[in-house]
Amino acid sequence: MIRSIVHIPLAAAGLLLSAAASAAQPGTPAATVIAIPPITTPDTGVKGNEMLGLGWQATELIAADLRQTSEAMPLPPNRKDYYSYPEVTAPTFSKWRAAGAKALVTGFVQSRSDGRLTFGCYVYDVEKGRELGRKGFIVGGGDDWRRAAHKCSGLAYTAITGAPSMFDTRIAYVAESGAAASRVKRVAVMDSDGYNHSYLTAGDTIVLTPRMSPKGGRLAYVGFTAGKPQVRIVDLASSQQRSLLAGDSISFAPRYSPDGTKIVFSMMLGDNSDIYVAPATGGIPQRLTTSPGIDTDPSFSPDGSKIVFESDRGGSQQLYVMNADGSAQRRISFGGAWYAAPDWSPDGEWIAFTQRTTAGRRIGIMKPDGTGEKILTNGPADEGPSWAASSRELIFQRGAGNGSALFRLSLDGSEPRMMNIPQGGSDPDWSGVMD
Amino acid sequence: MRKALFLVPVALIAGAASAQIRVPLLAPRQPPAPVLVGIDALRADFQAHAGTDTVYFGAVNAQLGPPARAVLQAQALWLLQHPEVVVRIEGHGEVSDTRDHALAMGARRAEEVRTALVLMGVPTGQLTTMSWGKERPGPPRAVTVLVR
Repeated sequence: MIRSIVHIPLAAAGLLLSAAASAAQPGTPAATVIAIPPITTPDTGVKGNEMLGLGWQATELIAADLRQTSEAMPLPPNRKDYYSYPEVTAPTFSKWRAAGAKALVTGFVQSRSDGRLTFGCYVYDVEKGRELGRKGFIVGGGDDWRRAAHKCSGLAYTAITGAPSMFDTRIAYVAESGAAASRVKRVAVMDSDGYNHSYLTAGDTIVLTPRMSPKGGRLAYVGFTAGKPQVRIVDLASSQQRSLLAGDSISFAPRYSPDGTKIVFSMMLGDNSDIYVAPATGGIPQRLTTSPGIDTDPSFSPDGSKIVFESDRGGSQQLYVMNADGSAQRRISFGGAWYAAPDWSPDGEWIAFTQRTTAGRRIGIMKPDGTGEKILTNGPADEGPSWAASSRELIFQRGAGNGSALFRLSLDGSEPRMMNIPQGGSDPDWSGVMD
Repeated sequence: MRKALFLVPVALIAGAASAQIRVPLLAPRQPPAPVLVGIDALRADFQAHAGTDTVYFGAVNAQLGPPARAVLQAQALWLLQHPEVVVRIEGHGEVSDTRDHALAMGARRAEEVRTALVLMGVPTGQLTTMSWGKERPGPPRAVTVLVR
């Protein structure tokens, strides 16, 4: 389910926190300390109390969002730091300076006559005493306020880092339960914090590799509905499903183009797997590769002009880059191992991959020209990295015991953190920022 | 001493039991062989004549060795005698492989078996292929499954 959120203009300039531009000073924490006092309300009486309660929940959610990152260090919200509505735009900077905060988040929540809520969010540079950004939203009932809070966390994160935020994003993955030989697999989607979890398929057939469309309205995946793996499309609003292609070929490894109009995927023709591209609405696929090897796992560059993919045409799995029309194919991985399952970062700077050696599978990144290779995990059964919208974090699956789990990995070198999901998980896909 | 104390009641119970059951022992009756009909009978017959429904591959390749070819020869013989039967050749990849490469390897192994059976004279109309990728753990293999 997609929850509604309406952006409203709160005129202001978007600035970057001064600390972000300069490198961290020795002796100071690498993460930016952020104060998040409880979000206030202009409402009074019973309504005012209700709004304050909601504001407190939103405050805690914003702190929880920022605590998940390696760049921000939120001070624990304290109810005693309550401020009045006029102070939203005129905070007492000296107080937060004394508390050691570099940045400050304030906000308000206000009830509307139509039953919806207005949500305002402001981020300040405490040292300079100036505003870095503000955002306003109108949200519906239920838990729609969570999206506004995530957007507010994102405003603060972007002010600190300059990078897009990933709080108001979704994660699609394959939920796994049961024994290995008869595993039940279902496509599941959830908010990036694990909230709002739902299943999209019933678990009566095997499903693999869900990939969300850029706007999050549709999802491509591989299903065994027809007795063999084939790319299928599900509309998230209506839950309607269909095959991408008319034929009965084996097709797999789908990914949307950045503009959402095309899907690139692998298809078997005899014993040969090549990469094809087709309109996202279906239609005649166009063949992009012709090598006799296994060409698979294509992923577009963020500008849509290039595709990185995996091929064993040279005898082992390696990464290749080509133009989006299939021309100028060239190998980029030369690290001596096998490389698979590439994913191009949203900022275009990196390609994440699964490295295969005799010691197992590990997650790494390299530049699109093949330089700067870094291995980020220890394995031995790590697989299928997918980028966060920030391009500073990855999600991947890690096999453990008889099953597998989802892990988040920050590029700063910290340990991967296991995500809290209702059962086992594999094949994660992290969405871009949603409007 | 303690051991002996325990043994006595056990012996008494055993004696009581044998005293009550005075039925002469009969040779256990053979359970009747299950009557297989339709596809189940065909599958049993296929197994009996071909020896096995499965051929194995080396790691990270789809090449059929001499033992696998011998199995396929027997499968082909049976399929030629049963032209009404359609089979689905299910290829498997390695669990240590990545998701999509394993799918392609499974498909490639299934296709290799299909090609071998065709070269042994089996009509293409009797043969379909699919891949499990690494969804069914086990050694690299292809399984010939009778569909109808």
